Amino acid sequence: MGTEPAHTVTRYDQELDRLRGIVARMGGLVERQTAQAIAAVVDQNEEAALEPPELDVEVDTLERDAESLAIRILALRAPMAVDLRLIVAVLKITGDLERIGDYASSIARRALKVEPLDGAMSFSALRNMGRLVQENLHKAIDAMACNDSERAMEVWNADTAVDELYTAMFRELVTYMMEDPRKIGPCIHLLFVAKNLERIGDHATNIAERVYYAVTGEMLPAVRPRGGAARKGN
Amino acid sequence: MNSQTATRTPSSRSRSLAAQRKMMDRFATVLSWCATFLVVFVLGSILWTLLKNGLPGLTAALFTRSMGAPGQGGGLANAIVGSLLQTGLAILLGAPAGLMTGIYLAEYGSTSRLARAVRFVSDMLLSAPSILIGLFIYMVLVAPLGHFSGFAGAVALAILAMPIMVRTTEDMLRLVPVAMREAGIALGAPKWRVILFICVRAARGGILTGVLLAIARVAGETAPLLFTSLGNSEWSLDMRRPMASLPVAIYQYAGSAYQDWMQQAWTGALLVTLGVLIINIVVRVGIRAGRT
Amino acid sequence: MNGQAMNSTMQAEPLDTNTAQATPLAIQVRNLDFYYGKSRALHGISLDFPERSVTGMIGPSGCGKSTLLRVLNRMYDLYPGQKATGEVLYDGQNILAPGVDLNQLRSRIGMVFQKPTPFPMSIYDNIAFGIRLHERVGRSEMDGRVEDALRRVALWPEVKDRLQASATALSGGQQQRLCIARTIATRPEVILLDEPTSALDPVSTARIEELLDELKTEFTIAIVTHNMQQAARCADQVAFFYLGELVEVDSTARMFTTPRESRTQDYITGRFG
Repeated sequence: MGTEPAHTVTRYDQELDRLRGIVARMGGLVERQTAQAIAAVVDQNEEAALEPPELDVEVDTLERDAESLAIRILALRAPMAVDLRLIVAVLKITGDLERIGDYASSIARRALKVEPLDGAMSFSALRNMGRLVQENLHKAIDAMACNDSERAMEVWNADTAVDELYTAMFRELVTYMMEDPRKIGPCIHLLFVAKNLERIGDHATNIAERVYYAVTGEMLPAVRPRGGAARKGN
Repeated sequence: MNSQTATRTPSSRSRSLAAQRKMMDRFATVLSWCATFLVVFVLGSILWTLLKNGLPGLTAALFTRSMGAPGQGGGLANAIVGSLLQTGLAILLGAPAGLMTGIYLAEYGSTSRLARAVRFVSDMLLSAPSILIGLFIYMVLVAPLGHFSGFAGAVALAILAMPIMVRTTEDMLRLVPVAMREAGIALGAPKWRVILFICVRAARGGILTGVLLAIARVAGETAPLLFTSLGNSEWSLDMRRPMASLPVAIYQYAGSAYQDWMQQAWTGALLVTLGVLIINIVVRVGIRAGRT
Repeated sequence: MNGQAMNSTMQAEPLDTNTAQATPLAIQVRNLDFYYGKSRALHGISLDFPERSVTGMIGPSGCGKSTLLRVLNRMYDLYPGQKATGEVLYDGQNILAPGVDLNQLRSRIGMVFQKPTPFPMSIYDNIAFGIRLHERVGRSEMDGRVEDALRRVALWPEVKDRLQASATALSGGQQQRLCIARTIATRPEVILLDEPTSALDPVSTARIEELLDELKTEFTIAIVTHNMQQAARCADQVAFFYLGELVEVDSTARMFTTPRESRTQDYITGRFG
């Protein structure tokens, strides 16, 4: 992918490049949405909280553009092998990116309702989780841009850590709520934020899977290695 | 400004070039028309002369009575029948050999040394002077036997007809697509079957055309008959004896001093021409029918 | 966990390379070299043709795919100067060996060509010609065989009222189906097709492809095609040839989604320059 010689039909190459460009832009926007959403929660930054929902409109438009261009190429070029895999991957990846954008927006909308719980470790856990998810998302998008199956594999394996953090947070928050019913409101918000972050992590993993398929032609097994703790938590 | 002149120059140049070409085109067209007219004129005047001089002698007696002494009202019946017999026998003798040689050249020999030699000889025969053939048969068939014969005439004509049929048969078979041959072979058919039932069948129109062309060619031959069948003023169907033929009769009569013989020579020439013309028309109609 | 794992292997099955090799092989080509005079057109080809399945052969012009096809029924024998070395095993016998009865071999390994090649005879005789070559068949049985062959290629309804009409009057697609009917009428085991639809319109092409799908339940089929989509649609396994070499052979699904060789990938994705 990308390292192959050019197509005999130049227009074909141009179309594929355009498709890659759209996905790269989407990736950039979604990364920004996620970063701003996490900043909004963790730093209680009002300005940052406004950005993700605004960017969502553009992300949606880009998804539709990518889809129609992919359909066009499928119909007109009858892509094969590496090209076919790229297009199928793009169709799936744009879906994942769009979902990530939605989760980021939802986190941002909830951001200011979350109150830091005094003396609790949850906020710093959230900070950790946010950093990990952001890192994974960044790596996944990077792997996509560079056709790097190894980096995609890293993302795929790294999601376990996110899951474990979420499980730990889940237990902690449940404990808080049982101790003090007045904290149920902010705790629920915090739990939702954490859940959304965890979902973003899952979609980043999906993207990594697609990239791995597009590059190598092999599908990763349907079951991802998960921490045993996470299993029990669910 | 500069760019405008630059763009204008080539277009004006091409315009003058176009005018020049149009002139040349007209010139060549006129020349071709003139040449065509000349040819048609010559042919037309021959035909017209033939018709003018030959038609008056076209009577029933011409077809019913044999040749006779001048002034006695003889016809050309024996010459017509003689021509038909000798030409027919010539084709009967020449066609199998000619067609099979053609098949050999197209299907078996192809580029072998023998095939190339055969093709060369056949092409040479095609353009050999026909009197040479007559002399050859005289030496081989007439002199040793001590008498002229219709059979000898037919053999001479057969030798003339053969190369025409060889050439057309080979050419027509070569037009049969290779894929057709391979399709036959691919079914497991032996080669001879493919040739006989597929190739020859596909080329049969063209091959038949070749045979008819050969008939047309030999029907008007005089020279090879002079030393072989000689000519005969009596009615005779015996191939072992000298035999009359239209071309030889024309040759004899036209050189005579008698008015009625000269008349019959014209009419005989008209008959030969009409015969050849009819064969040619049949060939053309046949080809057209074969195409559709 | 276990159930999911099983599921994933089942999903991967159509891509599995080994499924093709489970079926018995009709033809095995081993180390085949081919020469047109002095120039070598095939280099050490080894390829298996599984029974009752379609093997597609693709590659750019002059890559040797048609040459290989013409080795399988010894068609090259027609032309002096063409020579094949190596082994082609068919029915336990090396068909390249001297002393093979070529007419019999060709009756068992039939061939259909790029351009339809109806013989200059009636529709009926086109079919009967091949049958008569190898069998002595009575009038009524012949009628039945001709009808059967024409039905198999779905041509019967179109020609049943004009069996005695000239075959050359049929349309291109009909002619090609007639040629296939003619080939299967002699009851071969293998059918070789050399770009059978390249001269046909899309509808006729689709009909031939549909026909191949039916025929493969009974015959082993090898098809050379320039149309990659066609290979993708018709073939069970695909072999890619380049410059007289067999670059890659694999199940069709694998070949067109994840070819192993970069030359294959470049060719099937249209990156040849």
